Amino acid sequence: MTGALHGLKIADFSWVGAGPRATKDLADNGATVVKIESARRLDLGRRSPPFAEGQSKNHDASVFFAQTNTSKKSVTINLSDPAGVEVAKRLVAWADLVVENFGPGYMDRIGLGYETLQQIRPGIILASVSVAGRTGPMAGFRGYGNIAAAQSGHADMTGWPGTEPHMPPLAYGDVVAPMFLTVAILSALEARDRTGQGCHVDVSQIESMVHVAGDLFAGMPEEKPANDDPVMAPHGVFPCAGEDAWIAIACEDDSQWRALCAVLDAGDLATRYPDAGARRAAAPVLRQDLSDLTAPHNGATLEQALVAAGVPASMVLDGKGVAESAALQAAGHFAPTDHPVIGPARMPTPPYHLPDTPVAITASPCLGQHNAEVFAEIGLSADDIARLTEEGALA
Amino acid sequence: MSAKTPTPALLTGLKVVVLADRLVDFGGEMLARLGADVTLADTGEVTEIRQAAWHGGMRYSPASSTPLAELLAGADVLLDDRRRTPRAEVDALAATQPQLVHVVATAWPEATSPRPATDLTLMAASGLMHVIGTAEDPPLRLPGEQAYALTGIQVATAALMGLRARARTGRGQRIPVSGLQSVTLANYREAVMYEWTGRIGRRVGNKLVRGASGVRQVWPCADGYVTWSMIDNPGMMRAVVRVMDEEGCAGELAEIVWEDILVADTDQAIIDRWQDLVGAFFARHTRARLGDWSLKLGWGLSPITKLAEVPDSPQMQARGIFVETPQGKLARGPLFAVHPEEGAA
Repeated sequence: MTGALHGLKIADFSWVGAGPRATKDLADNGATVVKIESARRLDLGRRSPPFAEGQSKNHDASVFFAQTNTSKKSVTINLSDPAGVEVAKRLVAWADLVVENFGPGYMDRIGLGYETLQQIRPGIILASVSVAGRTGPMAGFRGYGNIAAAQSGHADMTGWPGTEPHMPPLAYGDVVAPMFLTVAILSALEARDRTGQGCHVDVSQIESMVHVAGDLFAGMPEEKPANDDPVMAPHGVFPCAGEDAWIAIACEDDSQWRALCAVLDAGDLATRYPDAGARRAAAPVLRQDLSDLTAPHNGATLEQALVAAGVPASMVLDGKGVAESAALQAAGHFAPTDHPVIGPARMPTPPYHLPDTPVAITASPCLGQHNAEVFAEIGLSADDIARLTEEGALA
Repeated sequence: MSAKTPTPALLTGLKVVVLADRLVDFGGEMLARLGADVTLADTGEVTEIRQAAWHGGMRYSPASSTPLAELLAGADVLLDDRRRTPRAEVDALAATQPQLVHVVATAWPEATSPRPATDLTLMAASGLMHVIGTAEDPPLRLPGEQAYALTGIQVATAALMGLRARARTGRGQRIPVSGLQSVTLANYREAVMYEWTGRIGRRVGNKLVRGASGVRQVWPCADGYVTWSMIDNPGMMRAVVRVMDEEGCAGELAEIVWEDILVADTDQAIIDRWQDLVGAFFARHTRARLGDWSLKLGWGLSPITKLAEVPDSPQMQARGIFVETPQGKLARGPLFAVHPEEGAA
């Protein structure tokens, strides 16, 4: 059985995180994704930790890169060399789709703008992802995923009430935007099936972040909500026994609240705060009361008891907890791969399962691993490849 | 606020039925915003915020008024949310429609026992909360209903993958989607760092820790806050220091050859001294002034926009990201831009 996108051919000029995460989705689902890279302008993802056996100077040892680029092929083309651009045009002629996340205007400057792509391959789809989108006064903005948090209201709304804006140690915009890019690409393919026309889909990290904050824009709170919910109470994180051990608990209705009180042996709390309105009104006191009750418990045991009683609850897992999560393992969330430099490694899989057209995860490519195979497929002879490599166009 | 609504109608002609309980809400909305004809047949309880946030473009037609079997006749996609309700009977109904792409969303993976879950508890299980906030306070979630939103995006993706597969095979299929896995995918650092280095990420506030030192990410300025970090990017550092020097406040920063040092390997006390100089410079200027310099000179700095200011930002206005409804309320516009617009119709 082959994946849902078997037969789809993609020339992937994207690098680091925001583009490659989308093309990983497509490659894992069976598309042939050729990643255009260059040793002269190395994908910064290849320099990002962690590295297998600490090999930070080895272009093929980054596990960050490996998990962002599964199931792809890699070729090296020097896009600052006109001869390299000509080879890239051959790849465009081969492809159904071009993906890029360069700085503003770069594709135009090297002669691979949308109009040119259409001339080379009528009906081709161009997919771009950038901080602010390709139009508007911020179109020229260069930056990274945290900028999207700053401009979308996320930083303003993250943290505890009354504190300065908060920037978590992850580029959330670099995660959300590629998910939008995948949806944009698949939608553009549907449209092309219907109309025969290609288009340029233009995904902005800021806008993607705005959309996933839909409930905040609908409610427009003046203060950071932290872990509170406008309806549910209690709704928060409470201490457990042990260092930095916490459990998240949310009661959607009064029956769950009563069940929580029963599990915690909470005296008259259930009757003192019989409904969510009363519990929200007494939130600070209730938070302390519940913290006193959860603190002596082993978190995992308490989670088990609460879930069995029908109360939504989960330990706050750290990196170790996620890596060892029984639920994620049961779901096959991490697929085994074998990489020539990294060795055996587990890579994240898409969170959906298509039984008739399953995903297939293979190891990320080494730099230029597929030069001979791909360049031959687009019509370069062995002599051409040797000469262009010698001249630095395929480097 | 923009009056135009350039929603790309890429999915015109697609018929979708939605049984929603928060995991699929945003997925249904995404398909609707892209031009699909989306019928919301079940929603459970609906608040005003939930409706405004996640149900844009969908038409409400409760199953009590139209039987689900009737709604499914000719449908391409069914988004089937089983966060709290097993809905086992829907499987039999869906199986009678071989063309149907049936996306089944559960909070925890279908391969595990069903359990109660909400946005907050999914976020806790993803590992993200453990690193958000400050060491002295409890873990924090990302703001809003991010677990539900992330699952919704994957629901839409699964539906579209199912359609691509159907175009090849001629058949629909039943596609389970896991909320837990959808959220965990967003946590791209913590599990892999633990597996390969043994290190467990902690809450470090607004500090960006690289190597042996940490640098600030959030800075007060004359009228709010900006985000910027002193990272190993010599061109960016020179661009900032040049303006500081013109204002006579660069101090020792003007003497540093940025190519010759690695901030990540610099002693924390020295970094703190340098950051004091930068902090005093930022404090004298507004977000707009600093943002203009950043855009023109490539500083990598951004003003931090308050939530209520976002809809009025020039970039949002130019891209038509917020629109006014006929009722005079604020609504979000297109998910992304499509060029040329007529090519996407």
